[in-house]
Amino acid sequence: MHIPDGYLSTRVWVITDLVAAPGIALLARRAQAKFNHHLIPLMGVMGAFVFAAQMINFPAGNGTSSHLVGAALLSCLLGPAAASIVMTAILATQALVFQDGGLLALGANIFNMAIAGVFAGYLPYAMFRGSRVGLFLAGFFSLMTAAVLALSELLISGVAMPPAMLSVSFAWFLVSAAIEGALTLAVAVALERIQPGCLRKPVAGGRAWAVSGLAAVLLSSAGWLFASDRPDGLESLALKAGISNRVTSLIASPFGDYQASFVANPRLAKSVAGLAGILVIYGLCMAISRAIGATRREGA
Amino acid sequence: MRHARLELWSRGTSFAHRRHPAAKILVTLVFLIAISSLHPSQARAAIFYFVVLTALASAAKLPVPRVLLAAAVVLPFACVFALMSFFAGAPEKGIAIMVRSWLSALTTVLLMATTAQPDLLAGLEALRVPRFLVQVMQFLYRYLLVLIEEAGAMRAAAASRAGKASTLEFRRASAAAGVLFARSWGRANAIHQAMTARGFTGHIPRFRVLRITAADVWFVFGLVGPVLAVRLVLP
Repeated sequence: MHIPDGYLSTRVWVITDLVAAPGIALLARRAQAKFNHHLIPLMGVMGAFVFAAQMINFPAGNGTSSHLVGAALLSCLLGPAAASIVMTAILATQALVFQDGGLLALGANIFNMAIAGVFAGYLPYAMFRGSRVGLFLAGFFSLMTAAVLALSELLISGVAMPPAMLSVSFAWFLVSAAIEGALTLAVAVALERIQPGCLRKPVAGGRAWAVSGLAAVLLSSAGWLFASDRPDGLESLALKAGISNRVTSLIASPFGDYQASFVANPRLAKSVAGLAGILVIYGLCMAISRAIGATRREGA
Repeated sequence: MRHARLELWSRGTSFAHRRHPAAKILVTLVFLIAISSLHPSQARAAIFYFVVLTALASAAKLPVPRVLLAAAVVLPFACVFALMSFFAGAPEKGIAIMVRSWLSALTTVLLMATTAQPDLLAGLEALRVPRFLVQVMQFLYRYLLVLIEEAGAMRAAAASRAGKASTLEFRRASAAAGVLFARSWGRANAIHQAMTARGFTGHIPRFRVLRITAADVWFVFGLVGPVLAVRLVLP
């Protein structure tokens, strides 16, 4: 699920970086305001814990084994804002040290797993007030949201994929999401037994219900919105048929407005404009993060 | 360990090692942007980037074949996508993905192989990445190996006690994760107490102050210029 560099089109990685950078700056500010520097070593060690917990193999039937992804577990342990920051630190370390996921694609990976994945995990947990059902659904929705977003981003970027592969990957996502749910539940139950009170009890109340329900719907529909942006992807998923004209439409449509015009217009002018645009957007990204950082320092 | 080798390389003293980390991060990003937008028909630009990156690796006195091999970690995953493009009737897109992801990984490996971890984090902070996040990354990196080794030791101990009792395996694994969590939690609290005792107030002092020099400016412009020029001019 870690998207490496070289897969996403310029449009997709620029937009996701643009969403992820200020988002993480805001969440960092929130987590810091709530917990102050007391939390820094704890969050770092929790990130290392998720890395290490990924080394523990869980049997997943048929002799295969699986491991925890951890975004949902972190959000139940630390709350969504701090969990997002820890997941971001994990993703950045994986991209830099292990070449697991790209640097330009880091925005997309952060958006999928550290922002959408963490919140999609926290909402059902808060909705069911930290019960076992809530823990299972936390793992399930966290992984499912992240996986659907990652697949949608790849499809929008014009990565060619036979239509049959789409249904196979959806089935695979469902299985892995159920496994992640079971693992989140199992580990959380074991944690409760060893160290009672370590799970954060979500804030109760009717408003929390409504807000979390609404946000859950928004998040899941956002995932589908991405997918239905390219209706032929869903169509082929429904039909499961590898008809060649469907395949060509699958390839042609994402390249429709960007790459095709890239070729039709004088290439030099177009690519100059594209690169200048990227630089401007990156500058904006920096400026927004910087402004947020500046207000944080004044506030501190 | 893969990254133990990177850490071994990153302590060098070559021209590339001595550049300001923020300058290296900027150059890396420009390389990545240029590479990620390569079209399947732009083989010449791809070859140019490969030559420049290899030349940089040898100028930094790194073992070039092993650097190329370290970047090849991304190739198996890319092969899957290349095969899918092939079956979807667009083999040239699959090849483009393999080339782009390998060149991108090569760029990242070069950044990591010429920049020590504390310097890299200082560079990120200089580029306005939130300091809170940078410090979490610092602790994560510091305790990564410690906890991975602990997990490995626990796995060995569990295997020697219980063997391969498959009915118990799932419960055993979740209990292991629980124990690992409790130990990590305790360790984090001990670390924080020790830091508080040493006067920690949210900022970690550095031994060496990094300054941007004229050489850093030349380094950035000398590389960014040709990289962008090739990307824009070559058809």
